[in-house]
Amino acid sequence: MTTRKSSTPRFVICVNNAEYPASLELHKVYRVVPDADAVADGDLRIIDESGEDYLYPAAYFVVIDLPRPIVRAMNKSYRTAQPAV
Amino acid sequence: MTSFEIIGEIVDIETIAVGSTIRDVARLRKQYGPGRWRKLKGTAMIRLRNGKVRLAEIHWYEAHGLGRKEFKRKRYLK
Repeated sequence: MTTRKSSTPRFVICVNNAEYPASLELHKVYRVVPDADAVADGDLRIIDESGEDYLYPAAYFVVIDLPRPIVRAMNKSYRTAQPAV
Repeated sequence: MTSFEIIGEIVDIETIAVGSTIRDVARLRKQYGPGRWRKLKGTAMIRLRNGKVRLAEIHWYEAHGLGRKEFKRKRYLK
C-alpha cells in the first residue's frame, strides 16, 4: 500500500477568525491551496467564504487529516460549487 | 496582531464586485451592517508578521459610512 505524504495539508479548521469575521467562520473546515511560498512565511492559502483563495496566517487554523473517501467527496463538492466573486 | 500591515498608499484601486454579486455579502451585512457593499482590489507595499516587505495585490470590502473591512492578501507581485 502506497502512502502519499504532502507537506501542505488539504483541509484545515479555522480556530481564529477575529480579524476576518466575514471571510472566515470559526470552526469551519476550509480547503488549502498548495503554496510553498506561503508556508515558508508561516501562511496558508485558503479558499475562504468568498470562494476565492487568499493568504492567511497558518496560526488561524489547525490541520485535519481526513480519510481519502471524504477528501474525494469534498474535492468533488468544490468542483461543482458556484463560481466565486 | 494583524496578519500584515499596509505601508504606504494603496494604488491601482478597482471595484471588482458590488452588492449581491459579492458571494459573501450576507456575511458582511450581518457582521458590519447593511450598506451598499463593494469588493475592491489594489496594490500596496505590505509588511508581513515575519518582517518581510512585499508588494502585494490586496482585496477588501467597503461600504459608505462603514469604512474598509477585511484587507486580504491575494498574491505577491514582482
